[in-house]
Amino acid sequence: MSTRLIDFSLTRPVLVYWLLAIMTFGVGALIMNIKVDTDPENMLSADEPARVFHNQVKENFLLSDIIVVGAVAKNDASIFNQASLTDLKILSDYVLSIDGVKTSDVNSLSTIDNIEQAGEGTIRFEWMMNTAPESQSEATAIGKKAERLPFVVNSLVSGDEKAATIYVPIIDKNESYRISNQISEKVKSLSNANQYYITGLPVAEDTFGVQMFVQMGISAPAAALVIYLLMLYFFKSAKLVVAPMIVAMATVITIMGAMIGMGHTVHIMSSMIPIFLMPIAVVDSVHIMSEFADLYKPGKCPKATIKEVTSHLYQPMLFTSITSSAGFFSLALTPIPPVQVFGIFVGMGMLLAFILTIIFIPAYISRMSEEQLHNMQRKLFSNGHSNSTIAKILPFWGKFSLKNAKLIILAAFSVAVISIMGLYKIQINDNPIRWFKSDHDIRVADRVLNDHFAGTYDAHLVFSFKGQSDLFNVWKADIESALQVSDISEENKTQIRAFFIKDNIVTPAQSFTLMLDDMAFEDESGATGYDDLLAITDVYAAKNKVFTQPAKLAYIEKLQEYLLTTGLVGKSNSVVDLIKTVNRELRSGDSADYVIPETANGVSQTLLQFQSSHRPQDLWHFVTPSYDQTLIWLQLTSGDNQDMAEVVELVDKYLADNPVAGDIEVNWAGKAYLNLIWQDKMVSGMFDSLTSSFVIVFLMMAFLFRSVIFGLLAMLPLTITILFMYGMIGWIGKYYDMPIAVLSALTLGLSVDFAIHFIERTRAIYAETGDWKETINHMFKEPARAITRNALVIALGFTPLLLAPLVPYITVGAFLATIMAVSALVTIVLLPASMHVLKGFIFKDDAAK
Amino acid sequence: MFNSGYMKKTVLMTLMIIFTGAMNVFAEENISAEELVKKASLSAYYGGNDGRTMARMKIVDANGREQLRQFTILRKDIEEGGEQRFLVVFSRPADVSGTVFMVHKKVTGDDDRWLYLPALDLVKRISAGDKRTSFVGAHYFYEDVSGRATTEDTHQIVGQDEKFYILEHKPKSAESVEFASYKTWIDKSNHLPMKIEYYDNNGKAYRLIEALKVEMVQNIPTVMDAKVTNLVDNSYTLMAFRKMQYDIGVPEDVFTERALRNPPAQWLKGQ
Repeated sequence: MSTRLIDFSLTRPVLVYWLLAIMTFGVGALIMNIKVDTDPENMLSADEPARVFHNQVKENFLLSDIIVVGAVAKNDASIFNQASLTDLKILSDYVLSIDGVKTSDVNSLSTIDNIEQAGEGTIRFEWMMNTAPESQSEATAIGKKAERLPFVVNSLVSGDEKAATIYVPIIDKNESYRISNQISEKVKSLSNANQYYITGLPVAEDTFGVQMFVQMGISAPAAALVIYLLMLYFFKSAKLVVAPMIVAMATVITIMGAMIGMGHTVHIMSSMIPIFLMPIAVVDSVHIMSEFADLYKPGKCPKATIKEVTSHLYQPMLFTSITSSAGFFSLALTPIPPVQVFGIFVGMGMLLAFILTIIFIPAYISRMSEEQLHNMQRKLFSNGHSNSTIAKILPFWGKFSLKNAKLIILAAFSVAVISIMGLYKIQINDNPIRWFKSDHDIRVADRVLNDHFAGTYDAHLVFSFKGQSDLFNVWKADIESALQVSDISEENKTQIRAFFIKDNIVTPAQSFTLMLDDMAFEDESGATGYDDLLAITDVYAAKNKVFTQPAKLAYIEKLQEYLLTTGLVGKSNSVVDLIKTVNRELRSGDSADYVIPETANGVSQTLLQFQSSHRPQDLWHFVTPSYDQTLIWLQLTSGDNQDMAEVVELVDKYLADNPVAGDIEVNWAGKAYLNLIWQDKMVSGMFDSLTSSFVIVFLMMAFLFRSVIFGLLAMLPLTITILFMYGMIGWIGKYYDMPIAVLSALTLGLSVDFAIHFIERTRAIYAETGDWKETINHMFKEPARAITRNALVIALGFTPLLLAPLVPYITVGAFLATIMAVSALVTIVLLPASMHVLKGFIFKDDAAK
Repeated sequence: MFNSGYMKKTVLMTLMIIFTGAMNVFAEENISAEELVKKASLSAYYGGNDGRTMARMKIVDANGREQLRQFTILRKDIEEGGEQRFLVVFSRPADVSGTVFMVHKKVTGDDDRWLYLPALDLVKRISAGDKRTSFVGAHYFYEDVSGRATTEDTHQIVGQDEKFYILEHKPKSAESVEFASYKTWIDKSNHLPMKIEYYDNNGKAYRLIEALKVEMVQNIPTVMDAKVTNLVDNSYTLMAFRKMQYDIGVPEDVFTERALRNPPAQWLKGQ
């Protein structure tokens, strides 16, 4: 197989070039179909129950994605001053005129209703701020009204009255960038009374999408440049190092084309594919070029040399490509679709890069002129010795590890123990807002608004009544027994009974009542039986309207009080707050009347009044029109998953201690909760992926080396590296977040490469020489050089990610660079030390051969 | 060969020409917009000297979910085209049964409005002021139920066809209403406003009121089915009137604050 591929490459180089060009441009053209996806929700698959429920809740309660515009009065003034409110009114009016805004749900001081006492026995419904205040006293009066409404305080107006918000619900969240830009433009034309902040998830997502392209447009080419310069430094031949760059480019373009062509969107994960493949794709070439540069001597036939080198390296390169890609393929085991796509395509990219290296590099080198190769040789070696710093240092390193073998093993052991202690300190946490740098506008807005208000992070605790079918059956039976003794005509009875046979009766009591009303109206027989049936149906209807029942509402009220005591929830809003506010104003306006009415009818009549406002539809954001589902909207000041997790835990405990009566289910929805769910999936998914790839890689090693002990040795450097990295995260207290989680599996696949090359070459040389000392001497020349060069290529190749505008990329860049450096170091120090200690044992078989 | 569709169309066209020709005899030449608006108001809100009707409202939200309201409306005109009394008594859903809403409509100045909530045993006056709030959660406003004073807008005839006068209305006080303008299609034969379309500041139509069915009740053309549509999200409210009766002779003392707690059963139930 290997020789046939190499022969093909050497005999048909032009054909190889053509095939490569056709594949790259053919598949690469599919990149034109690119679709960007920045929705963090897509971290969960579309049929994930938590996500399905969340979207159901969004639909049931007519909830939109919201842009939050915050206005903070300048000079530490109260927002209730004439200039600030005038600007707010102008801006709010402008928002209503923007296309794509769901105008009926825009919330600001000038779009909401006020309900209040207007003298003895009189109630008033009016716009809170229909026109801009014409004097300071009018502005102050608006403040006085606002502070009486629980829905406004700390949501639309800050508790310290220094800031106000406009909630801008948008119809299509892909329009949020345009809409927020329009708002920013309008802000410039306002007087200078307020400072404005624009945030909200849709804005964050859109901005994220833009910056993702920046990352791909800057970091990936920068990585290519770094790798090129590094290889140029290693090999001193611009012409030669173009070859691996071609392999890398062809790999990246083909894989991205294939991914996009297969209909996958470019998500935060897959946007990192180019920068991952770039350094990985050149490592095999670096091995070939490294050894070629060492073996080729002027006068020798380059073709013969490259053939010798390539067939020689074929096996370790194949092994490393397979094991590394196995590490990435294991990401397919995570339950997170974008991570699966990332793993699969990077894995395929590695295999593709291997094949391209084997067929393209020999073809390319064989077509280089003797003169070019001589030049390279002259620069690389003077007096027959290698000039590079690496070449000078490495032999010392080899001697050092043999001399201090036991000390090194002890040190590695100690590092492992300390790291394991660190693992227990790991804190799992993430927060998509923190994906932006701390000085980013969105982060600033987030800080300011959460400082003034009760929180801009949403979670919904949803109460759903589940006893509908039981109630239906009781009602049906009651109607039947009433019909038995009724004076209604047989013909009408048949029609009434037929009602119960119909499927999918959405609001059975309503339609049944209508039917009976009509029937009674048409019936000229004077039958009175209809009233009984209507009475039975009224009882049934009342039982279905669960969340008009005072006891249920009182339970929600208590739970809301409890939520405030947790210190994690800035504020919670529910239909109960609505009912109590209207009830207070209907009765006296005194806080003593800020209570739930005593009967369900009282609640319904109170809500009928709420619905007589300018914004009756607001009710349906808190309870469904059938009153069988309701929600508490929690405002959290922190978007940290850790905090959301604690709220969930506390609520679970509360529900266990105070079980909710009746057939009611309680579930979570909301963005903050969804983030928590995908984080959980990520953590457990990554752990599964890590353990399974660990086992798979070990089995492959044991099989490839035909030796369990060598298999274990091969796993040693990466085990120490992973322990060290994660132990360090625990010790320094960095949160274990999305990028950190993803890194675990990547590390494994990449760092095993060094060990494979080291062991494979050691064994090959030992088999030739039969002497351990000589083997090690030899190992720390060319093979160790190749490994070190590769470690540098990969480590430095990831550093352009540090330039990225988004934090996850920076984390990935910093950690991967460190991981590569550490694992290379561990490989060339710990492996020889371990083999030295075990040499009598492990080389016994080989020597016997 | 004639197909039947063609035949039907031809017959219909012929009938229409004859019919509209006849109509034109009665069409008012040079009628002013103000006069038309007054006539429309009389047709829509002042049929007979008093009246009673059962009404059923179906409120359908953007998700297609329905709510029902059923109530009886009693009306008495104190003066034709002038002061009026309304009593709205709810019967369904059962949990709001007995809720009463009363209006003393004035020609000049603000209307007086009252509310009675039986479960809270509470009579409340509703402050004068904004009448463009929702009527118990429907897409109708209170003002749509009792009628907007013709003096609040300026009126202009902007067109007509065989069947309708088309009027455009602009509010005299723009900040007191949510619309920038509205148009009315007034039926030439009976002066009933058959369609009203509301426009926002961008000139975009966002709200539509339509008369779906008109019947003669005691020789008075009366809207029996009507619909309000929110053109933004396509939610709507259907209103259907039944047992409509004019000139039942209801006395004025039925429309007093005292009567709120004990709605006059004899006048509410039809025979």
